[in-house]
Amino acid sequence: MRIFNQTWDYLTTASNWQGSDGIWTLLVQQLLLSVTALTVTMVLALPVALWLGHLGRGGFLAINISNIGRAVPTFALLAILVTLDRPGVATFGPYGRAGLATLIALSLFALPPIVTNGYVAVDEVPAAVKESARGMGMTGWQQFSRVELPLALPLVVSGLRLALVQVWATATIAALVAGPGLGTLITEGFYRTDYAKGIAAAIVVAVVAFLLELIGAAVERATDPTRRSVTRKGVLDVTTGGR
Amino acid sequence: MNTRFLAGAAAAVSAVLLAGCAGNSVGSSNAADSGSSAPAASGGGTVTISGQNFTEAEIVADMYAGVLKKAGYDPQVKLVGTRDIYMKVFPKSVDVVPEYVGGILEFLNGTYNGANANPVTLSDASQSITDAQPLLKKAGITLLDPSPATDSNAFFVSKKYADANNVSTLSDLKGKSVVLAAAPDCKGRLDCERGLTDKYGIKITKILPLGYASQQTYDSVLHGESQLGETSTTDGTLESQGLVLLTDDKQIQPAENLVPAVSSSFLADHPDVAAPLNALMAALTTEKLTQLNAQVAVDRQKPEDVAAQFLSDNGLG
Repeated sequence: MRIFNQTWDYLTTASNWQGSDGIWTLLVQQLLLSVTALTVTMVLALPVALWLGHLGRGGFLAINISNIGRAVPTFALLAILVTLDRPGVATFGPYGRAGLATLIALSLFALPPIVTNGYVAVDEVPAAVKESARGMGMTGWQQFSRVELPLALPLVVSGLRLALVQVWATATIAALVAGPGLGTLITEGFYRTDYAKGIAAAIVVAVVAFLLELIGAAVERATDPTRRSVTRKGVLDVTTGGR
Repeated sequence: MNTRFLAGAAAAVSAVLLAGCAGNSVGSSNAADSGSSAPAASGGGTVTISGQNFTEAEIVADMYAGVLKKAGYDPQVKLVGTRDIYMKVFPKSVDVVPEYVGGILEFLNGTYNGANANPVTLSDASQSITDAQPLLKKAGITLLDPSPATDSNAFFVSKKYADANNVSTLSDLKGKSVVLAAAPDCKGRLDCERGLTDKYGIKITKILPLGYASQQTYDSVLHGESQLGETSTTDGTLESQGLVLLTDDKQIQPAENLVPAVSSSFLADHPDVAAPLNALMAALTTEKLTQLNAQVAVDRQKPEDVAAQFLSDNGLG
């Protein structure tokens, strides 16, 4: 297939990666956009979700409200936001044209996995564990911070990982409102019938999504308290066995 | 098989897959037709019309269907998103396509001579068609008579900007610095950024890839974010939005006259499709087409009604 050869050529040509409209620059722009959107959601929504999980209440409401982020197409939301006077299409620092609108749209898109996982993770810490914590005389905050949160962490991180990968891949829509990121190459490629360029950019997006997924999975594993203790015990066993 | 393919494509949120799916539906539904229509020598039978599905193309395709119906044919119209899609099955299983001279010639030029081939279209439609005969022959496509109506790229400013700077042609913008809102393929094109810079001496400080005649492009110019916007010569919505089209006085646009593209083998079997289509082309002008577009885009009429009205007004339908 000629198109694959052309795509390969595009990806292996150094000049396509360099410069202010090269792949590296666009990749960093898109990463910045994705990470910022994720951070905004994490700071604003995650504490609420975790605390509701601790209370074991309001989860139905929180999860369903956040699911609006799933139901409303991100691009439709973006299209509405850019037609409004605010946030509109004003250039927003490194986030480019309509940067604020793009960040809002992406942050809302990140809501569902973060809120759902955050709530469920804390809520589903076994009742026996919660009761023992209370029985030891822990206050609500101590119970949350010392018992529930550590146990819930892997699932919380898994929500963040899911959101990051989704947001990263979706951030290509910024190009549709003349914003930054690898989406620029994809739309350009399609408009100029230079499909190799569009496919090359899509491949880069996919590869980075895969890498983010791997990093997220590694972080997730590192935060697993049960796995941590198993490893420690494993080390201990080895030492005792050696004696 | 086809339904499963459609369902699969619908599930995949990929432009490539969607394009492939639409291409497939054009092809598969016509595979049967082409076999059955082959024996008929002339006058009647099924004629398959395909083309793009933006407003103007839709109106013109409906006109094609109208005049061919009057000529005794049974027209089947299937419109799709982009030229790439129907060109996969034209002229094999699609018989007639409402085309634009530059559009079809440059597509064939790109197909046979590579994406970076020099443009073959001049600003004169008939001359361009004559020059491109080898390409058309290779593709098995015949272009009938080009219409005086032309739909090429054009550029507009807001009425406020036009009045304040006394601008009515692109030459009037010489030496001025402008931000251009245009289709994402504008950069480097002779009929867009490069032509505006080299031929007209306009200083383009930035190109916003907001689309061809898109709402985003209109808004950007109306709000003063950009000064110049890209649209077509037949854009019927400009006046009602307070936007002004600038004359292409140095003719950087290649000929984009409307022209019927017919499968050469279909035309050989059905020579009587040419006369009604040529008559239709002769009846259309750029102004007429702009008005018809406005009837759909501004007055919210249906393309098929607008087309039927035009045909009956001109004694064609």
